[in-house]
Amino acid sequence: MPTNRLSNVEREALAHVNVNPLGRFDRAATGEELMAANPYRPWPARITSITQLTANEKLFEFRFIDERIRDAFCHKPGQFVELSLFGIGEAPISITSSPTKKGFIELCVRRAGRFTTKLHQMQCGDIVGIRGPFGHGFPIDDMRGHDVLFVAGGLGIAPLRSLINNVHDERSDFGKVTIIYGSKTPSEMMFLNQFNMWKHRDDFELHLTVDNPDDTWDGEVGVVTKPFEKLEINPANTFGTVCGPPVMYRFVVDAMRAKGIDYDHIYMSFERHMKCGMGKCGHCQIGHQYCCIDGPVFNYWEALNIQGSMR
Amino acid sequence: MLYRVIDASEVDALVRGFMESYEVVAPVESDGSIVFDVVHDPSEVILDYVQTVSSPKKYLLPPRETLFTFDVEANDVTEFEADIKPRVIFGVHSCDINAINRMDLVFRDGPYPDPYYVARREKTLIVGMSCMPDEKCFCNLMEADEARYGYDLFLIDIGDKFIVSISGNEAAEVLERSCDVRYASDEDRVTFREITRARAEAYNPKNPNVQSVAMLMDAFLYDPFWNELGERCLSCTACSAVCPSCFCFDIYDELHPDGKTGERLRVWDACTSPDFATVAGGHNFRPKPKHRVRHRMYHKLNGFQANYDRMLCVGCGRCVVACKANINPIEVLRFFKEKEAVHADE
Repeated sequence: MPTNRLSNVEREALAHVNVNPLGRFDRAATGEELMAANPYRPWPARITSITQLTANEKLFEFRFIDERIRDAFCHKPGQFVELSLFGIGEAPISITSSPTKKGFIELCVRRAGRFTTKLHQMQCGDIVGIRGPFGHGFPIDDMRGHDVLFVAGGLGIAPLRSLINNVHDERSDFGKVTIIYGSKTPSEMMFLNQFNMWKHRDDFELHLTVDNPDDTWDGEVGVVTKPFEKLEINPANTFGTVCGPPVMYRFVVDAMRAKGIDYDHIYMSFERHMKCGMGKCGHCQIGHQYCCIDGPVFNYWEALNIQGSMR
Repeated sequence: MLYRVIDASEVDALVRGFMESYEVVAPVESDGSIVFDVVHDPSEVILDYVQTVSSPKKYLLPPRETLFTFDVEANDVTEFEADIKPRVIFGVHSCDINAINRMDLVFRDGPYPDPYYVARREKTLIVGMSCMPDEKCFCNLMEADEARYGYDLFLIDIGDKFIVSISGNEAAEVLERSCDVRYASDEDRVTFREITRARAEAYNPKNPNVQSVAMLMDAFLYDPFWNELGERCLSCTACSAVCPSCFCFDIYDELHPDGKTGERLRVWDACTSPDFATVAGGHNFRPKPKHRVRHRMYHKLNGFQANYDRMLCVGCGRCVVACKANINPIEVLRFFKEKEAVHADE
């Protein structure tokens, strides 16, 4: 039997054979420079400010120590970062500061478990690790020129605040702005200083409402769908945005639909435990979507098409 | 397709040829089972196995892997260089090659290429091996009975010879160095055709072929069938441990005994484990076994297809053996076969 070694032509062809013919599934994502080398690597950031918001929630301001990272980091409202406390672990936390303010990021954190308790014990000047930003934020560029209705419940104000503040900073780009923010009790209401300053402005319609009022409360009472009763909106020109505890979504979305807002103009941010942030680890799956790369912000039409998102 | 023929007796030389410059892992016998493990002598390699207990995915996505080490006091990463060996996975069946191709979509070709996976994948050669299915194999229903790409060499057993499909330069060099490669004769081609036909006929006809399974799953999301599966599920996660295409993982920190340094680890995790979908504050989005079993099957047979146009099950049949509660894709397909039939009658 003769030996039939590979010819040069065949060799050359081989260089092209072992390639997946489907090619790459590219999706747009920000922060690529930062992520490129190793997207699992958190970058050291210093806590530069801590504000106690309520008994259990604090607002932290972070600045990356490496200037190159600080300059490269840019997010969209609704995106999140993975925050590292070395030795304790990592947690996904939505960015609550507006992209219009550069050089720092703010995260609003409730003390709930081991990780957040440790974070709450930290002081200004302490160093943490941050990687990101991850996820699909709110479509702010589509929203320009339109009215925006915000509905936040409890800690849901944290991701929405990045969009609210962005809209505030570029106010002339947007039409009528309505903010409905509800919490269980007045003492659990966050960013009251900010919202109280806006109370007297005529370019923000503000509804702060609590389920259980106390003596200090002279505002609205009831769940977040209550203000919808007297709400006047132009449904054809309005984007609705929702964020809150899981149980809240259905009621708010129904209320928005009842007002006539389109399915694809209602945006909601979902909470899941994104462990890798990059569409791999699986923890944040909602049906076939990964909350981390396909979300966390979905429109209602998308959400209806994801098994297990709304119920 | 570029191919040559070698004698069956030359396979040992091929393995030895790879062993000169690579770590070779292949199906070998261990305590009465066949598993993928490091080969020390070519005679250990088992060529005519039906299925290994677990898949070769562990060589691309290790069950436990250090992402980096860190210093607690400095609060920073002490850079980590993964120790990645040039390796040959020898004797991989087409189901497992297809599973690796599907992992590639997520870990290599996705929006964030995983540097650890990609580094391993680039240093890994895959030598496929043809097989004959048993009654638990259903790769033919999952478009995984043939490996069209994703291997460097693929050996097809045609009796006393092997047809070698060649698809990588590096492996081709080893092949030429170790074996006497020849063109296939007409006789070889006839044998190949007969064996291919025999293989197609060897699949268990009782494993139901449901073309519209993804669509039916959407329609029967709330069917009591899922409750029934949930009641049986032990949440033991054996299914994902043996699955060649399950890739979910957990990330956590482990401190060294001195408390000053530590490692960030990535370990296999499974969506059938009870706390998989729990978020901070304790809310569990899939609190009951029925939610988790359903989610796993949906991701395999419906969701992954929505994203990548193919199923995340390759029909290797390992979970059929591993699941002590008899929950597996064949069961699910059988259920939907009934549903399909009901609809056809109406």
